Amino acid sequence: MGRSQLKTALKAEKGIDLKKLKEKRRLKERTKAKTKRTGSRGGAKIPEDDSDVDEDQEEDDGGAADSEEDDSADEEDAPAIDLAALDESSDDSSVDFEEKIERPKKPKQTKTTDTVPTPKATKKTAEVEHRDEDDEEEEEEEEEEIDWADLPPEEREDLVPRTRISINNTTGLLNTLKRFAIATDDSTTFASHQSLASQEPTADVIGEDLMDDIKRELAFYAQALDAAKRGRTLLKAEGVPFSRPTDYFAEMVKDDGHMEKVKAKLIEEASAKKASAEARKLRDLKKFGKQVQVAKLQERQKAKRETLEKIKTLKRKRSETGGGDLGTHEADLFDVGVDNELNKYNKGLQRGGERGAGGPGAKRQKKNEKFGFGGKKKYSKSGDAASSADLSGFSVKRMKGGAKGKTPKTARLGKSRRKAGAGKR
Amino acid sequence: MAAVYKALSKTANDKDDAPINGVKRNKQRVLILTSRGVTYRHRHLLKDLASMMPHGRVDAKYDQKKRLGELNELAELYNLFVSLKLAKVKFLVSNIHTMEELAFSGNCLKGSRPILSFDKAFDSEPHLQVIKQLFLQIMGVPPLQKRSKPFIDHVLSFSVADGRIFMRVYQVQETEPSKKDGAEEEEAAEEAKKSKSKHAEKHKELDVSLLEIGPRCVLQPIIIQEGSFGGALLYENKHFVSPNQVRADLRRKSASKNNSRAEQSINRHSKMGNLGLRSDGGNQKPMDQLDSRELFA
Repeated sequence: MGRSQLKTALKAEKGIDLKKLKEKRRLKERTKAKTKRTGSRGGAKIPEDDSDVDEDQEEDDGGAADSEEDDSADEEDAPAIDLAALDESSDDSSVDFEEKIERPKKPKQTKTTDTVPTPKATKKTAEVEHRDEDDEEEEEEEEEEIDWADLPPEEREDLVPRTRISINNTTGLLNTLKRFAIATDDSTTFASHQSLASQEPTADVIGEDLMDDIKRELAFYAQALDAAKRGRTLLKAEGVPFSRPTDYFAEMVKDDGHMEKVKAKLIEEASAKKASAEARKLRDLKKFGKQVQVAKLQERQKAKRETLEKIKTLKRKRSETGGGDLGTHEADLFDVGVDNELNKYNKGLQRGGERGAGGPGAKRQKKNEKFGFGGKKKYSKSGDAASSADLSGFSVKRMKGGAKGKTPKTARLGKSRRKAGAGKR
Repeated sequence: MAAVYKALSKTANDKDDAPINGVKRNKQRVLILTSRGVTYRHRHLLKDLASMMPHGRVDAKYDQKKRLGELNELAELYNLFVSLKLAKVKFLVSNIHTMEELAFSGNCLKGSRPILSFDKAFDSEPHLQVIKQLFLQIMGVPPLQKRSKPFIDHVLSFSVADGRIFMRVYQVQETEPSKKDGAEEEEAAEEAKKSKSKHAEKHKELDVSLLEIGPRCVLQPIIIQEGSFGGALLYENKHFVSPNQVRADLRRKSASKNNSRAEQSINRHSKMGNLGLRSDGGNQKPMDQLDSRELFA
């Protein structure tokens, strides 16, 4: 396809008129197709091959089975195949030798047969159809389900299902069956064959979805269990020893080594399950513990905020009611108390600017008001007597090496393990 | 999955069974071998199957995949009384799980006779009937086989679903029933005392349950031929798609994607050429007076 496009591009460059060429080609093709059709109607070449195959088969059948029905059925099949091939070979590149012409499964091909029927062909097929109805029916039943179980389901739809020459020589099959079958009916003892058919088709028990592992295996199990129970009673009735006595030892299908392995695997599986369950429990606990911790912290924070707010409102009230009128002495007194309160909470934060108990003088305050709060930046970070006297950040426990124990070894798991944990949750 | 030629040439002993009362006796032996080029998994599956077939004879891998008719002679060589009246069925074996990898806890006597459990669907269609007989004679151990054990402790089950045959192997477990209702138990015990056939009563009471042994596999019939490794084609599975074909289709699909992309790019190039947007080829713009090539010539 790519190549053809390239060619067109080249031709376009050269300046050749493409449309004219295309038209010419189409005309040619049409004439070709016409000749083909007429030729195949006269003495089809492709169907001849097919009929050869069938004849071979017939010969074999005749030699082996000598059943007249069989032969006649095959002879009837042959023309039907030819006709089908005739109809479809004209418009489909892949020739499809089907015995049947009208099919519900393949809408594409049925259309072609509807629209381009050669009158002769339809007549003949009709004749054939009513002659061997049984065969046709069987074919149809088979064709209902085209399955692609080996493929993942999303790919199945894209691939075009192929149907090929279908051979189902029922009479031949039954004849061969007669030749080598062992009697499994009432004429012999059950012990001679030990085979049982299930009460109902297992496919029905499974239902629609074959991919449902549990359902499918259960159906198989039920079938086998039923057979085991019935077989046991039958064998008991015939006096055949069934169950192995406990003191009978013999070689088993799986030797001891194998069974040991199986046991180890089972134990491993069980222990892995248990371990994972335990780990999950621990993880949950941990998560819960963290939640508790966070809640506590939040509570503390809240309490702090509330007290601070209270103090602020108190301060404001004071300043509003008696800030100017009252003597500075009283205001100072009160302010000291508030400052103390404040200092209790933000000790470390406020250093430098409000160094010293008294605070800035009146002039400084005025200046602050006028020029905005600036203050001295120098030495703001260097330590002084107050800071060195402050021992709030010190704890004996840490100094003695408690810190190591406090930080857990792997506070944060590796990425892959974290991800795995997230998946499990 | 490669198709395994489970070259199971089945031979029925003609000498004693056929004539007398017209009823064939179940007495056969099986030659078990693989073709060359199978993987370990196929080999293990065969080993598992062979361990459950005391009437089987395991042979070296067969050298070629064509001319399987020579296997008949091989069977004759082993004194298997070849009267090859059997049909041949070719299967695609998929979803193989061997005993080893399945790790089921079931186990059974080596060479005990299995109970064969067939799906009811096997009786519905002729080709399935043939397949059923084949399984019956190949997988079933004939009675009074020399190497077989006298007790029965496993079930081979074949089920048909979706046009395929699923094979499973279970161990039959007989356990004491759980004591739910004491009254009944006592009654049963009394009856047992009365009848004095303690054994029979005891066995009836036992519960039967199954334990899977393995292996598992799924068989899809491909063709059925009239004779063993030859003869007329009696049945061909229309729905069978060879794994090679599936693979090729997938490849082609992915290739088509690439092709379409290539086509697109070519289209784009030609379009740009037509619009005079390409520096080389296509419709070139006529040289302008203000073109740099003209100006600085």
